[in-house]
Amino acid sequence: MTVHDMKHAASDSARLEAVGGRLSRVDGPAKITGAAKYALEQQLEGLTHAVLVGATIAAGKVSAIDSRAAETAPGVLAVLTPDTIMELKGASDWLGNPSPQPTYNPLAREVTYSGQHIAAVVAETFEQAVAAAALVKVWYDETPAIVDLSDGKAGDGIPIDAMTKEWGDAEAAFAAAPVRICAAYNTPREFQAAMEPHGLIARWEGDALTIWEPSQWLDGMARTYAEWFGVPFENVRLVSPYIGGGFGSKALALAHSAVAAAAAKMLGRPVKLVLNRPQNFTSYGGRAATRQTVAIGADRDGRIQSIVHRGVNETAVDGMWVEPLGSVTSIMYATPNFSSKQNVVRVNTVVPGAKRAPGENPSAFGIECAIDELAHELGIDPLEMRLINYAEQDPHAKKAWSTRQLREAFAAGAEAFGWAKRSPQPRSMRDGRQLIGWGMAAGTYPVRRAHGEAVVKLLADGSVVVESSSIDMGQGTYTILAQTAAETLGVPVENVSVKLGDSHFARAGVTGGSRLAGVMTGAVYKAAGQALDELIGLALSDPRSPFQKLQANTLQVRDGRIASSRGEGPELSIAEFMAAVGREQIEAKGDTLPASTTAEERYANYTTIAKSIPHTEGDWSRHSWCAHFVEVRVDEDFGTVRVSRVVSALDSGRLYNPKLAESQWKGGIIMGIGQALLEEGIVDRRHGRIVNGNFADYMLPTNADIPDIQTISVGIPDPHSSALGGKGVGELAIVGIAPAIANAVFHATGKRVRDLPITLEKLI
Amino acid sequence: MTSQIHTGQTIIDPPEDGHFRNGAGSNGLAPSPTTLSLHLTINGRDHALEIEPRVTLLDALRDRLHLTGTKKGCDQGQCGACTVHVDGERVLACLTLAAQVEGREITTIEGLAGEDGTLNAVQAAFLEHDAFQCGYCTPGQIMSAVACIREGHAGSDEEIREYMAGNLCRCGAYPNIVAAVRQAAQELRS
Repeated sequence: MTVHDMKHAASDSARLEAVGGRLSRVDGPAKITGAAKYALEQQLEGLTHAVLVGATIAAGKVSAIDSRAAETAPGVLAVLTPDTIMELKGASDWLGNPSPQPTYNPLAREVTYSGQHIAAVVAETFEQAVAAAALVKVWYDETPAIVDLSDGKAGDGIPIDAMTKEWGDAEAAFAAAPVRICAAYNTPREFQAAMEPHGLIARWEGDALTIWEPSQWLDGMARTYAEWFGVPFENVRLVSPYIGGGFGSKALALAHSAVAAAAAKMLGRPVKLVLNRPQNFTSYGGRAATRQTVAIGADRDGRIQSIVHRGVNETAVDGMWVEPLGSVTSIMYATPNFSSKQNVVRVNTVVPGAKRAPGENPSAFGIECAIDELAHELGIDPLEMRLINYAEQDPHAKKAWSTRQLREAFAAGAEAFGWAKRSPQPRSMRDGRQLIGWGMAAGTYPVRRAHGEAVVKLLADGSVVVESSSIDMGQGTYTILAQTAAETLGVPVENVSVKLGDSHFARAGVTGGSRLAGVMTGAVYKAAGQALDELIGLALSDPRSPFQKLQANTLQVRDGRIASSRGEGPELSIAEFMAAVGREQIEAKGDTLPASTTAEERYANYTTIAKSIPHTEGDWSRHSWCAHFVEVRVDEDFGTVRVSRVVSALDSGRLYNPKLAESQWKGGIIMGIGQALLEEGIVDRRHGRIVNGNFADYMLPTNADIPDIQTISVGIPDPHSSALGGKGVGELAIVGIAPAIANAVFHATGKRVRDLPITLEKLI
Repeated sequence: MTSQIHTGQTIIDPPEDGHFRNGAGSNGLAPSPTTLSLHLTINGRDHALEIEPRVTLLDALRDRLHLTGTKKGCDQGQCGACTVHVDGERVLACLTLAAQVEGREITTIEGLAGEDGTLNAVQAAFLEHDAFQCGYCTPGQIMSAVACIREGHAGSDEEIREYMAGNLCRCGAYPNIVAAVRQAAQELRS
């Protein structure tokens, strides 16, 4: 539980504090002084420390484990192996489907990927546990592994029929088109690489389990723990006041989570288990490696006649992950004929997972490079090419866009970048030995919606408390919910405390798919409105109320003071009024669910993703949109690529706090620069092992890699997407950055690199 | 006593004879062969510790002294989240044993603001420019930035980018970090 009290001068303008104002982060002071306590920083009496032992093979069986030396090492309390860890029950998946297996063992006898947890050492201190874990000896019966998508044994994989999207006769129209391009585009295994490692502290008190764990989904993870240990959902409390980055990786309780919770139960003491940095590359899935072919047929004026798209992503031997590769392909451009199909291929890896814009990100890399190739083939400007094929409605769902400010994004971005001054020929712009390239691409992300709830309390001292088990991992939840409550209630934002990150608060679904801000501002708006109605109702009707004799229909609350809207009669602060009527607090729980929703449906709404509302529900197709313009400088001799300028124009609808939204956009752009030029999980072909699983060898962008970035908001309020008019922010901006850079590199060098990352050996 | 690595952080070398001095054991008993009695000066305050020689400064701060503002991102000297100041220089606490810094002045993020809570100019600029999102790399960024300015390496945006490159930020706050460091450097100069 965390409380943020905003203290700033009363002279700050109301504009700053209102929804849409550029209020600084209310959790900022805690974060810049070191006072913010993240989940793993909870200090507990009698805390023990667990360290995992991982498999050194990618496929086979654990034939024997010798833990004697570890067991007798100083400070060691227990060595858990597949044979000695307590048996857990199988838990349902994130859609709520029951586990196919009745039991679950988080320590593996059958190894399906390198690094899989096979033992754990628990000791009094972290140092003792680390030292003892190195003493555990393991023997294996190794079998051949399929190391990655390019492994000869990998095969064509399994067709995923649900991914098939087709209209018209795409193959025939492509064959008949006067201009055709067809190319293959590949993205490697990429990692979320949040700065805060995964881990947890688990404590049992009888049958009640408390978990301090960085989490993008407290209620979903609490459900998993409850099912593993066969205890009621209400017995599990997850606490996650701050999250040191997630990017999709921290939404599920994972094998290491089960190990720590089981160890705590077995030992009767709290256990802390934190994955070390290399384990953060093997204990949960990053973005799956992908392969796509995109074939586009067009007429000589550049009008697309057909798109044929085929995609493949890797998944695990014992788990399914589908990275929807046709998601952008099927909606970005108008085409009378279309076909997209996708397979998944099982390889010996941990199950891949969600990384910022799963699906849309690699999908855009394919189609947005392909459209650039077509533009070059036809001698048409890449921006003009996109306008020629502008989709006036959703080509797949055949529905109107709720809002689509993509034309405005193209115009604003091109103007700010100076796109009109681009010399069209590749290798035609240079600065000494540096080749200069200008490239562009579009991006999009669907508006994922769900129902949410929140509690708003008006306290006797006039302050306001907002409670939700949703979270803030840097998007600004604390801040925008404070702004929403303050504006709705008519109180200064400094009087609002927002409490998040505790599953005992009002329930919340997953924070993912860029949906939290829209869902939670809607829930807080509703709850705060109910609290305000109750406050005003009380003021008009309570016999002790000084407003009762006004005989007014309504009252207004401004700056935390209640008065008649006609300016007559008394004016009281909320605190004075609460004292007058003798109330300790007014509490409202608001949710956006239909009133007929059953308790089971509510539980499913918050603990699974099965109740998400489709973005094409009803009459509208709802998406965020963006256009990126990028300048690169490529050293002609060395092939090194530097991004020297980025201008992005983005349509996220109404922004609840532009200052924080701009930061998220820039963050997405920067992660996209990493994807384009640096990031690649390298697999050792002999052992199926990630060999660069650390921050020196898996290269993230550093400050020195990043130029000035200009973002321009072109969004307008979208009433079909959320209660307050916003669309998604967090995932949008990474979509389209890698193809914009690849297109700029082509413009600079004349070389088309279709395999990410674009490293120098591919250019010289 | 220090070796420079590429982005300005320093690694503290062991004493020339290779031996750290062991303090007397607690309770007047003979010193334990497996623990050290240490006195660390952190943010101007003395802290007594009984710890194994292998305990890093980072784990001593976070797990023993509950000064959790200093973050563990990689524990391998690769991310900069654990940056603290030792005698005014930026140091990676995960690559420094606690025993190496006895007798030195250690400053962590918790010691940067004034006694009355007045923020350091860098802290205030980070808030104003939204130079962080999740906040996990932030203490290390701020400690690096304070040292970067003090070292005279904040003269231009290019220089700031280079000398702040040892602190990774996965949320991608880099442009805002540069803006914050630029502003703080100007304020501290004037």
